[in-house]
Amino acid sequence: MILRLQNISLPLADFALDVSLEVGSRVTGLFGPSGAGKTSLLDLIAGLRKPASAFIELDGVTLIDTRSGINLPSRLRRISYVPQDLALFPHLNVRANVLYGHKPGATQEPAFRFDHVARVFEIERLLDRSIATLSGGEKQRVALARAILSSPKLLLLDEPLSSLDARLKNQILPFLQRIKNEFAIPMLYVTHQAEEAALLCDEVVSLERGRIVQRGTPAEVFVPGRSIAP
Amino acid sequence: MTAEEWQIVWFTTWVSFLSTLVILPPGLAMAWLLARWEWRGKSLVETLIALPMVMPPVATGLILLKLLGRRGPVGGFLHDLGIDVIFTWKGVLIALGVMSFPLLVRNARVAFEEVNPRLEQIARTLGASEWRVFVTVTAPLAARGIAAGMLLAFARALGEFGATIMVAGNIPGLTSTLSLAIYQSVQMGEDEHAFRLLAVSTALAFIAVWASEFLFRRRNHRR
Amino acid sequence: MMRNILLSAFAVVICVLPTRRAAGAEPVTVFAAASLGDCLKEATGLHQKKTGQLIRLNLGASSTLARQIEAGAPADLFFSADEAQMDKLQELSLIRTNSRVTRLSNTLVIVVPSDNPATFTSAAQLAQPAIKKIALAETKSVPAGIYAREYLTSQGLWRDLESKVVPTENVRAALAAVEAGNVEAAIVYKTDARISKRVRIACDIPAGEGPSIRYSLAITRDARSPAGAEQFEKFLSSPEAGDIFERFGFIVLPAAR
Repeated sequence: MILRLQNISLPLADFALDVSLEVGSRVTGLFGPSGAGKTSLLDLIAGLRKPASAFIELDGVTLIDTRSGINLPSRLRRISYVPQDLALFPHLNVRANVLYGHKPGATQEPAFRFDHVARVFEIERLLDRSIATLSGGEKQRVALARAILSSPKLLLLDEPLSSLDARLKNQILPFLQRIKNEFAIPMLYVTHQAEEAALLCDEVVSLERGRIVQRGTPAEVFVPGRSIAP
Repeated sequence: MTAEEWQIVWFTTWVSFLSTLVILPPGLAMAWLLARWEWRGKSLVETLIALPMVMPPVATGLILLKLLGRRGPVGGFLHDLGIDVIFTWKGVLIALGVMSFPLLVRNARVAFEEVNPRLEQIARTLGASEWRVFVTVTAPLAARGIAAGMLLAFARALGEFGATIMVAGNIPGLTSTLSLAIYQSVQMGEDEHAFRLLAVSTALAFIAVWASEFLFRRRNHRR
Repeated sequence: MMRNILLSAFAVVICVLPTRRAAGAEPVTVFAAASLGDCLKEATGLHQKKTGQLIRLNLGASSTLARQIEAGAPADLFFSADEAQMDKLQELSLIRTNSRVTRLSNTLVIVVPSDNPATFTSAAQLAQPAIKKIALAETKSVPAGIYAREYLTSQGLWRDLESKVVPTENVRAALAAVEAGNVEAAIVYKTDARISKRVRIACDIPAGEGPSIRYSLAITRDARSPAGAEQFEKFLSSPEAGDIFERFGFIVLPAAR
């Protein structure tokens, strides 16, 4: 999968997001301090915000091109988004949440079938529960399962582990790795924690005040001993 | 309570209920537009919608009378189609609808604004069309607030007088509502009749408003 | 310091104002039937010019006005379109009986919108399907409505026409409904029909066939300006006022009570 971003320009609070980037690896980390513009970038890619200017192309399909007026609506972009607050539908039970974006028959791959996904994320016993009764870790898994079941071409994750304690982090990490290994969906993974990025990402892009300041493998970007304030 | 009085109660309740149903689709659409969109002239639209709440009801009634009368722009058109509105129950329906519309829009708008837009956004990324987002996410989460708005609109319709008397008159058995009948009874010195109708009117209004407050307080029950 | 001066000045003005008003003549408040509106406006204008007496007119359905007087509304003179309302007030001792006069009569007509050329030979033609709605002043309380219903009943037409009736608050409202074209016909006083250019008389109801219409006039018991009221009533009973009434189409009854 190739995600091409060019001439991205979006005014933010004190600075403008100004990015050009081509991403191809399986899991790309978007790293940087809070307020660097990472979430805004994800919003743009998912089609949830309108930029001042942008060109975004996914696997040859133009998602947005401000110069020619093309703007594919979110529902057609095949990009799933797991935001920081998970955005689970509080009025639907787990099954309804998870199946929301699922179109039966849309994909032939057995990996994306409902039973398989439910098993992988270990939510089979949660299916009839209401969202309010779930624990933090359970909600996380439901959100991930929901995102996967819509058969996306790209998965955007906004700090999926940052609100979890160490124990839960260790619990969820394997599920993220399963997405990488079993479902082979490319991910754009936002985090301000170097250790997470190092564990999951094939490549890391560092963002500071709306600009890309560094790019490379985790080993290249995270020189041991160098700490980056969240 | 005589049979005639029960007929008035029944007619008033039924036509108020019907008018609330009729204004529901345009009311929800308008509330949603006001809650989620910005556009030029938006504040003008907001003001126009609020007018029936603030203008003297008879003034609104007069405007409706001029518009819907047989010689009026809308009424003339309808007359050619064989539909007469003035002095019929349809006139009552329209008067009630217009007067209670602002209340519905106001409440529904608040209800929509309180739905986390993030949820709607995520629904879109999961492939839902605008209509599906509205029906499966926005509306269910706003349901209690909308219901509170509908009840308030219903209560307002029950008590409507000024616009109704202008547009529909007070034809016994045909367009006579509770408030019109109370007015009439007082005019004719039939105080007992008036007090009975007053009692029913108060009871109905009390129930409707109480239920509305109840729903409104519980609207954020699940977010 | 300044504030105290202003406050005192304000207080003085407040105290003085009512006395100033008492020095001049108090207005005479006349509650009159709606159908008398236009001719009374002329009459009061004339009287005011001659005597400087200020007259306040409150027009409406005689039944409504009677109710208001019953409830204590400040009327000096009551000019009703029928005897029944006056009788009611007399029974309640709310009028000065020796001031009561029966002054005018009127006739009924059927009116239609002026762009409708139809003429009826009789009220029976109101039954035709082309006439979908007929405006009458409220037929149980307002004199014009009571008269109309009386007439239709006497002609055996009331039962068939009742379902077409749109009751209005007073006779002028019935007239207005025809002017606006929202009803096909109305029964109003001949004097009302003459005022309006937007209606036509489709049928005159002959005085002999129609009900006996009597406008009566009296000073209220609790009148606040009894002297002014008496003076105005005398004027209304004069030949000069009689001319005004006749010009508007009213029938002036002979002076005997």
